[in-house]
Order: sequence, then structure tokens, then C-alpha cells
Amino acid sequence: MVELLPETVSDLIGIEGFAVEFLAAIVGAAIIGTIIMLQTALAGPWAKRKITAAFTDRISVNKFGPWGVGIIIPDSVRLLSKELIVPEGADRPAWDLAPLVIASSALLGFAVIPMGDLGPINFHLADPEVGLAFVFAIASIASIGLVMAGYSSNNKYSFLGGLRAVAQNLAYEIPLIIVGISVVIFAGSLQMSEIVAAQQQTLVELGPVAIPAWFAILNPFAFFLFLAANMAEVGRNPFDIPEAPTEIVAGFQTEYSSVYFVLIYLGEFIHIFLGGAIIATIFLGGPAGPILPGIVWFLIKIWAVFLLTQWLRSALPRVRIDQLIEIGWKQLLVLAFLNLFLTALIVGVLAA
Amino acid sequence: MSLEQPRPELDVGETPDGEVDYDELAELLGEYVLDRESHVNAEGFVIRPDDVVAVLDILKRDAGFDNLSCVTAQEYYDRYESIYHLKKYDDPTQELSVVVPTLRDEPVSQSAASVFDTANWHEREAYDLVGIEYEDHPDLRRILLPDTWQGHPLSLDYNQDQPQIVALREHADPMEHRSEVPDEQDTMFINIGPHHPATHGVLHLRTVLDGEQVIDVDPDLGYLHRCEEQMCQQSTYRHQIMPYPDRWDYISAGILNEWAYARAAESLADIDVPEYAQIIRTMSAEMCRIASHLLAVGTFALDIYGDFTAIFMYAITDREKVENLLEDLTGQRLMFNYLRLRGVAWDLPEPREEYFEKVREFCTYVPERLEEYHNLLSANELFQMRVIDTGILPPEVAKAYGCTGPVARGSGIDYDIRRDDPYGYYDELEWDVITDDGCDNFSRAFVRLEEIRQSARIIEQCVDLLEEWPEDEREIQSNVPRTLKPDADSEVYRTVEAAKGELGIYIRADGTDKPARFKIRSPAFCNLQSLEVMAEGEYVPDMVAALGSLDIVLGEVDR
Repeated sequence: MVELLPETVSDLIGIEGFAVEFLAAIVGAAIIGTIIMLQTALAGPWAKRKITAAFTDRISVNKFGPWGVGIIIPDSVRLLSKELIVPEGADRPAWDLAPLVIASSALLGFAVIPMGDLGPINFHLADPEVGLAFVFAIASIASIGLVMAGYSSNNKYSFLGGLRAVAQNLAYEIPLIIVGISVVIFAGSLQMSEIVAAQQQTLVELGPVAIPAWFAILNPFAFFLFLAANMAEVGRNPFDIPEAPTEIVAGFQTEYSSVYFVLIYLGEFIHIFLGGAIIATIFLGGPAGPILPGIVWFLIKIWAVFLLTQWLRSALPRVRIDQLIEIGWKQLLVLAFLNLFLTALIVGVLAA
Repeated sequence: MSLEQPRPELDVGETPDGEVDYDELAELLGEYVLDRESHVNAEGFVIRPDDVVAVLDILKRDAGFDNLSCVTAQEYYDRYESIYHLKKYDDPTQELSVVVPTLRDEPVSQSAASVFDTANWHEREAYDLVGIEYEDHPDLRRILLPDTWQGHPLSLDYNQDQPQIVALREHADPMEHRSEVPDEQDTMFINIGPHHPATHGVLHLRTVLDGEQVIDVDPDLGYLHRCEEQMCQQSTYRHQIMPYPDRWDYISAGILNEWAYARAAESLADIDVPEYAQIIRTMSAEMCRIASHLLAVGTFALDIYGDFTAIFMYAITDREKVENLLEDLTGQRLMFNYLRLRGVAWDLPEPREEYFEKVREFCTYVPERLEEYHNLLSANELFQMRVIDTGILPPEVAKAYGCTGPVARGSGIDYDIRRDDPYGYYDELEWDVITDDGCDNFSRAFVRLEEIRQSARIIEQCVDLLEEWPEDEREIQSNVPRTLKPDADSEVYRTVEAAKGELGIYIRADGTDKPARFKIRSPAFCNLQSLEVMAEGEYVPDMVAALGSLDIVLGEVDR
């Protein structure tokens, strides 16, 4: 059993006691949080632009810093220094809390994600036995944030966006979790480290190359189902219906400006990365990979998922809300159950 | 060309060679006809203001005049006049004007809205700008000016210096009475626009929603009204009017619009245009059409995809290429001011060979790119899922609303002024009119894409002709007197196929060098009326798609 990050920190401090453990946990969380925030800072103002530009034959930011990456600084200053406009008749505590709920719920999910190691340090905060259930539960809290934002803004577009968000998340959370359960059947555990460990065996040897038993390779059907459901879960194209700029302006976030907007925007990106982290953990062998340290592989995998979201954003039309609900309830859910049933059957027969 | 389409039977008042027999029509209408006027484009029948419905109904039912192209209202010193410009979708060269004079002190006339749905907005505009009241009109409100406007700006006794003062208490919340929805209803009133990402400009849709479904939509126009008609009335025919058309459909369709004015004024003043200039006009106009359609397809994709995706950027990139060609030719990229009454401003840029080569290159490039667009759009299953069978506009409804251009052709109406009422050099060239029977959002986008291909064909043939044109016969302008003064009381209504549909200009001359009445029949204005039919009962995203598929430009709608 590899040491978790808070344990590493408290070992470094070298003193026993609850206060130290508590402090170590906080420091560990801060480290993980910072890593994730760095990814979103890179993704939001810079990578998203660059990737979209590459897809649409444009150049995008290129003046400040190498490949324009310096744009992150003026962009943050710009966003944070804008006036915070509070709409008339907004339901105050709810309206203020919504951005926090959206951003923090996604960030909390990273608590149980094994992000691999770098030398002696293992970037893994906690490893509860119900890890996978925890991550799904935490990620769905964002829906509450969306409803809060939508309803408390006192704006009809926000309201429509909030309603759409709930309808969409209901339709996609269930297939998502059911596909997740099929992985649990394979791994025989909800614990994240167990799920990762289960994928480390070699499936087949092709000469010098050993193909690992990643669940994406074992069960590609489940992998694609999960990818599709995840796109809807994080609300990206073709399922970015709660925002739908050409239909309902900006949906639930219409009335948010300045810091609150940054928080919502941040929350969305963290959510994409959390989705990527879940996919990496339960389908792509977590931080496993040759030569490079685990954390690097892990980051490569979540960035690959991010790239996929941006790719779809540049290529696919948005489906209509009724079509989306139909896809969710009538197709994905059925396929998810089919997948679960078959997995259970195969694992059961193989095990017997 | 299919001008000689076999027709099952002749309408009343139609001669076998496709001309209008006005005597027979007058006989058909009997004592309704008080007097007959002769306009440059057609004859006008003068009727009583309370016979409008009866006369138009007979003409529509028995004589086949199913296209109310335009309604022009104007004020004379002794009377008001509404002119209903009638045409046929089968053959737009058969025209008839129905002139309805009303008393100066009691300008009340019967509304034609019960016969032609399109008359609704035209008559609202006439009421708004000129001040004629239409009896039994379903919804006689101002359309371009604010509800609180004092006076009618195009009437003769209108005082332009009169301050437009409205007490705040009367207009504290201009939306108040419009947004009232009875409490017990499960509907929601929502203002889509004037500042909304999908309205393609400053359009305001007053929408009532039931959940996500559109129950009622009422477009509110006029945010971009710039008194274009009045400005043209204060300008001289020869030089001052020509720059204005560029500003109606300002999204690179400039030369198409200029041609509308050129065609009307040239037939009014009986000016000949040299053949060489006509070919240049045809070529440059089709370049404008390509630019305009590319933008239409790009923004339609933007409405459906929801983000600035590859298609939008590709369309803009390709539009740049055609804009460059137009810039080489005219010196401008949007406001060309290239046509002149009697020809074009100047000859092709030197060296000619280089320019021809550039144009040719573009023409071969267009079909390749169209494959890409078809791959990205019309062959995309998700895209099809969104746009097929949404925003349905049946052909009968399209005709009743006076829809023209790609909107009509997307509803299977085989109607194109370039072929049916030829002007320029179109009837000498090989090209096809694209129609699609789908009647939905997909068809309209599809028709536009294919029209780009046809325009490229036309341009290619024009280049061939221009290249072989003998050097000493390159006449770009014919001789016209320095000051144009068409005969007093001559009237003309002429249309051309602009980017969005049939763009018509009505001019009445009063013997001076400025028109006495200048009326613009905007295709986007007429097409936009049909949004109601397409959107009601559909979901919000489909309404947005329908609006995108109409391809309106607010500069043209509001003028």
C-alpha cells in the first residue's frame, strides 16, 4: 500500500498528533487543489482558445509569452476587476452561493482520485472504500448549484437554463453511474486504488509490448457509453444545452459577472477535468504508463479528455433539449443496463 | 431556360404568349374599375377603397395573381393612394397594379390582409409612415417607428422639426403592456432580443412560451430604421441615390441591391445599358450573392452548433476570398457603389488577365469547398436531426406571405426573377434554379449552398465572355444627360433577385431630378413575416434555427 499524500506531509513534519495530521491533510489538499487550478488556468483562458483556433484555422492568442500563454495573466486581471452586477430581485444567499457550489463540488471530487506519483510523493489525498460512489455523489452536487443559479437570478433565460440543467443531469447521471457499476463488477471494489490496481495486470503480450488490462480495452463498449454520458454530464457540446448561447443567451449564468462568473467558468473547467480524471481512473489505468512518472501520465490522460471535449465543441451541432432527453432515457440508459447485465454475466461465468 | 413551361390552362386575362390582357382583366372586374392608369411596368386599375378585398380576391382566384409583391402608400396634394403591386409566381412578368385612392381628410381604405397574409405588415408600414388607415386590418399598429411616435413621417404635412415628446408616465416601462400574460395560464412571456445572440442584429421577438414550446411570436422591428426611403427621395437620381442601396442588405450584397435601383430607374428614364457593362454587372452581382450566401450558411451553422465552429470560420474565410475579388473590381469591400445608371463605374482592373485568372481560380475552388460544406452540414446526422422537419413552411403559406428567394425555393416554389423576368445577362447564360421540396430549415440552407455553385457557374461564363470581348467595344457606360429628370407622374415598380429574395423598387417621378416617392420592397421584411408560421408550436431552438434559415438582415428589414 503506497503512502497517501497527507501521510507523506506529516512524515516530513515528523511530529505525531491530531493537529499535525489535520494540518498535513490541509497542506495535501492545497497541493492537489493547486495542481488542478493550474490545469484550469491553462485550459480556460489559453488552451481552449488555442485548440479551438487550431480546429477553425485561426491563430488565436500569440503575442504575450511563448505561444501566447501569458494571456492568462491579463485575462485573470480583466475578469477579476470587472464590476459585479447584482440583478434586481435576485435571491441573495442562493445567488451568491451558487458559483461556490458549482466550483467547489467539482474540486472536492479530486480528493479521492489517485493522481500518480512523482518520485517518493504519491498524489492521492484519501482512499475511502466507497471512493467511486463518493466521486459520483460529489460531482452531482453541481446540479444543485446550477438550479440555484438559474432560479435565484430572477431572469427567465437563467430559469430556462436551470430547468434544462436538471433535466439533462437527471437523464445522464443514471446511465453514467450504471456504466460505472460495470467497472466495479470487474474490479470487485469501489475503492479507487483497487480499481487502478485491477487494471495493472497484463492482458496480452504482443512481442515486447504488453497490453495492460485497462477497462477501456477490456470493455470498449462501456468506455464509449461512459464518454458519451460524461459529455452530457459536464455539459459540453453537443450537450451544452443549459447554456446554449444562441437560444437562451447563457442559460443559468446569464446574470453572473466578474468574480462570480469566474467561479462558474472555473467550475465548468474543473468539472471537465474531473470527468477526465474519472475516465482516466476507471477506464485508462489511472496514472499507469511507461517511463514517465505517474502524475505526468495522469495529466496527459485528463488533457486528452479535455481535448476531446474541445474537439466535439468544434465539430458537432448542439442537439435539442427534447432530443437530448430522448437519447438519455431511451437509448443510453437501455445500453447502460445492457452493458451492466452482460458484464455481470461474463464476469460471473469467467469467475465460476 | 424554362420561361416556356407548359401551363395547364391560361388564367383569365392572359394571352397565349404570356402577356397580360388588361382589357380582359378590366372586363373581369367589371364596374370595380373606375379608371385605368399606365405605369411603366404594368397597367394600374383604380378602384374604390371599399372594394379592395373583392377586387384582390377576384384577381387572385380567377386571374392567377397570387403574389402581392408590395404595397406602396403615398400622399398627393389631393389624395392618399395605396398601390397593390400584383404578380404571378408562375410568371412574374405578368404584373398589375391596383391603385386605391382615398380622401385626403379621411384616409381610410379596406385592408387586403384577408386575401394576402403579406399585406398585414405592408399595410402596417403604410399606416406607420404615410398615415393611411386600413379598415378590418387584424393588427394595425406602427411597425417601424415606436408606438409613441407623433405623426407620419412620409405624409406631406409632417413637420420634421416637431419634437417627439412622450411623457415618461405614458412610457415608463415600454414593455409593460406587452408582457402581460393572464395569471392562470401556464405560459411565460419572454423577450428574445433586441440584444440576443441569435437575432442576427437588433430584432426583438416578443415570444410566449409554454415550457420550451413557442406559443406565439411577434417580431418587433424598426431598431435599425434609418429613413432610407426618405433619404432616397431627397437625393438626385443620377448620383446621390446609388450609395444607399449598399446600406440596405449591408452584408456584402451591395451590388445586388444597387441593381434593384438601377433597374427601376433605368426603365423609368428609358436608359440603355451596354452589353459589356451588363456582363460585368452580372458577374459582380453573383460574387455578392456568393458572399452573402456564405455568410448566411455560416451564421445558420452558428445558430445550430451554438459556437463559432469550423463551418463559420470556413465560410468567413471563403467569403474573404470573394470579397477580395470584389475589392479588386470596385475598390470597396462592403459599400461598393459600383453600378451607375447606364452601366458600371469603371472597367475591370488591369492587368485584366491576372484578374480573370484570380476569378477563375475562385470558381474552380468553390465546388471543392461546397463538398466540404456538404460534408460538415448537410451530411452531418446530428445537423440533420436538428433541422430536418423543423420550421415547416408549406408552399401555399409561403406564397401567401410573399416569400421569395431561397426561402420560397426551399419550399419548392420554382421562382427566380433572374430567370422568370430576366435582366442583365442572365438569360444568355447556362445555370439552374435550385429548388427543394423539403419546406424545412434544412431545405433553405441546402438551397443556399447549391446556389453558390450556380453563381460560380455564372461567374465563370461571364469571365469567358469578358475575356473574348473585343477591346474597342468595351463600353462600360452609355450616354445619359447630366441631370436626369424622368417625366412627371411616370411610375415604375421593378424587382431583381437580390440575395434574400425579390428586391423591388417603386419610383414615382414628378418631373424634378429627385423622386417624389421611393419605395423599397425588402425581401427580408416579407420573409420575416413567415417566422410566425414556422415557429409556432416548435421548440425555442427550432425557432432560432428557423430565424437563421430565413437569413434576414435587419438593415434591409428596417431600412
